[in-house]
Amino acid sequence: MNTILRGLRYTGVILLSTVSVPTFGQDTSADADSLLIQEIERELSEGKPADSPAPLPQRRTSNTLNPAISVIGDFRAHYVSDADRNVNFEMHEVETALNSAVDPYARADFFVSIAQEDGEFAFELEEAFLTTLSLPAQLQLKVGKFRSAFGKLNRIHPHALPFIDLPLAYTNYLGEEGLNDQGASLSWLIPNRRFYQEVVFEITRGPDESPSFAVDDGNRLLYAGRLRNFWDLTENATFEIGLSGATGRNEDGGTTTLGGADFTYIWKPLQFNVYRTLVLQSEAIFARRTTDAGSRINSWGWYGLLRYQFARRWQATLKFDYSDTPDNASHNENATSLTLGFLTSEYQKIELGLRTAASAEADRFYETIIRAVFVIGAHGAHEY
Amino acid sequence: MVKTLIGRFAAALWVVAVTGLASPLECDAQSKVSVVTTIPDLASIVNLIGGDRVETFAIATGYQNPHFVDPKPSYIMRLSRADMFVTVGLDLETGWVVPLLNSARNGKIMQGGPGYVDASKGVSLLQVPTNLSREQGDIHVYGNPHYWLDFERGKIVARNIFDALVRLRPQDRSYFESNLAAFVEHLDSKGSEWLAKLEPYKGASIIAYHNEWPYFEERFGLRIAEFLEPKPGIPPSPSQLARVIGLMKREDIRVIITSPYFKKDAAELVARKTGGVVVTLATLVGAEPEIRDYFDLFDYNVTQLVDAFGRVGVSTGSSD
Repeated sequence: MNTILRGLRYTGVILLSTVSVPTFGQDTSADADSLLIQEIERELSEGKPADSPAPLPQRRTSNTLNPAISVIGDFRAHYVSDADRNVNFEMHEVETALNSAVDPYARADFFVSIAQEDGEFAFELEEAFLTTLSLPAQLQLKVGKFRSAFGKLNRIHPHALPFIDLPLAYTNYLGEEGLNDQGASLSWLIPNRRFYQEVVFEITRGPDESPSFAVDDGNRLLYAGRLRNFWDLTENATFEIGLSGATGRNEDGGTTTLGGADFTYIWKPLQFNVYRTLVLQSEAIFARRTTDAGSRINSWGWYGLLRYQFARRWQATLKFDYSDTPDNASHNENATSLTLGFLTSEYQKIELGLRTAASAEADRFYETIIRAVFVIGAHGAHEY
Repeated sequence: MVKTLIGRFAAALWVVAVTGLASPLECDAQSKVSVVTTIPDLASIVNLIGGDRVETFAIATGYQNPHFVDPKPSYIMRLSRADMFVTVGLDLETGWVVPLLNSARNGKIMQGGPGYVDASKGVSLLQVPTNLSREQGDIHVYGNPHYWLDFERGKIVARNIFDALVRLRPQDRSYFESNLAAFVEHLDSKGSEWLAKLEPYKGASIIAYHNEWPYFEERFGLRIAEFLEPKPGIPPSPSQLARVIGLMKREDIRVIITSPYFKKDAAELVARKTGGVVVTLATLVGAEPEIRDYFDLFDYNVTQLVDAFGRVGVSTGSSD
């Protein structure tokens, strides 16, 4: 009643006197008046200055049912000391990402990549998977085509890495673009209240490109897994240890088994986390390859890296690499790279990579790469 | 036919999976409601409304930039066990809330779940952009998300939290109700106290580091004339600092406000050139040890501002 009176007092009086003069019938007009007063009330409250917050929220939906869409460009300029073409420019990859909830029970992620292959741009389905959101018992199931959970870096898309060259141990054992296959992945959050532990188990059809595993038409299921352990050391520092494994049939009719161990130490002062970060990371991959004739090859590779963000927009990454190859433990390669990154915003970075590599068979060579990564569209997820 | 059978089987599997999860929804009378919030201010309001019936954990700390929180796996552990999740919403936390919730495997606190609380529901927003382009820097597509810095809007946040607590613990309704009433009453009396303290400076112009104060500015009748960041999220550039220095001299502006998680060098440089002062205000509960709850936040900020205005000799800001 009070509010109605207040409404009347402000501007309602004039409006009411003009509108409610033609009275039709006692009862109905009273109803009509109160409706009108309510209408005026609402108009008033909407036009009111913001000394008390208006009760009605603004419209906050524009394209809510469309998936989040982003397009990521990865352009590179190379100089290689020991090559037929020393200088090259390359639109290395254009990736389109579409992500959304499917329904209350699952979400879907699609990553389609356009990249150059033998001089022509070709479409490639990088990843496409469905992830459950509410399975019981802390389980999460993923089906589709996805980057394997094997290894610390394998799941990360190359443009998001703080260096340009994938570690040799990855390219030699998992493939040029990492281990990426079709199948199912089940992850379990271990109910450990002391520290974070997650186990992932994957069954996939067997990769179509792989230096370690068979790529023929036969049955060649690949089993892979990872155990991730994570600790908060202080509010500024964290430590993670991961163990990975993968096993499948190889080209020689035998079995290749990969084992991986990694650790990551991150120091990131909470208060100034946009200005300083220090990451110390290392990972080793061990391989045992048997043939149907009974022979066995043991080989391995590892990398270690140090990343330091020294200003809001600047970071440097130093990486050492060593790797055998799966079919020849005496063929080994090593590389050292230094990458300087300038991150203009969350949506663009420019990196300068200096790298030198040598192998048991080839001479040492040097290369310089400039890479620009740029994103348009939806705000992606931050990484940790 | 086969297709529909498979479809039904799959649907049945989903239903089993979902109902398996839904059963522990009703927390028993003894246990506390476990609440995870994104920022400590929300945790403070949950504590004030929920009293001894809740147990809270805030992901961000008070001196951290709430936009750039790292989605550490340890937060996933907390979220996987939570009954309720409170977020500032809009797009303040998009970079880290989405990956954390997607890994939490907890349907209760997913959007649409009974424990998911978007604290911005019903809050009127400022600076809703009329067009969207990243040329403008880190723009907020729904409007400025720092609405909790207006204590009147804090009441709406409290109401949203109250609604969720009642949804999860209907038997404690009257307890939550009396806490909500006490919260609003206390906020009203403190509110008039804060307003009275800043009343002499109404209309005074100040400079801010980042565009996170529009609600605070509006509530207390201040005027933020310019920002040290040329565009939101873009670090201060020399040309912007030069512009700010010029403006401060021209309009005799003496106070620069910033937040704990920004480097002070740019602000201090500008202050030196203009004879102004730099004041670090708190955007979150816990920014300083003495800011223990939502009321302390305003106590602290009002005191700091009054002190700063006093130091530079701004008496009454009738200039606006």
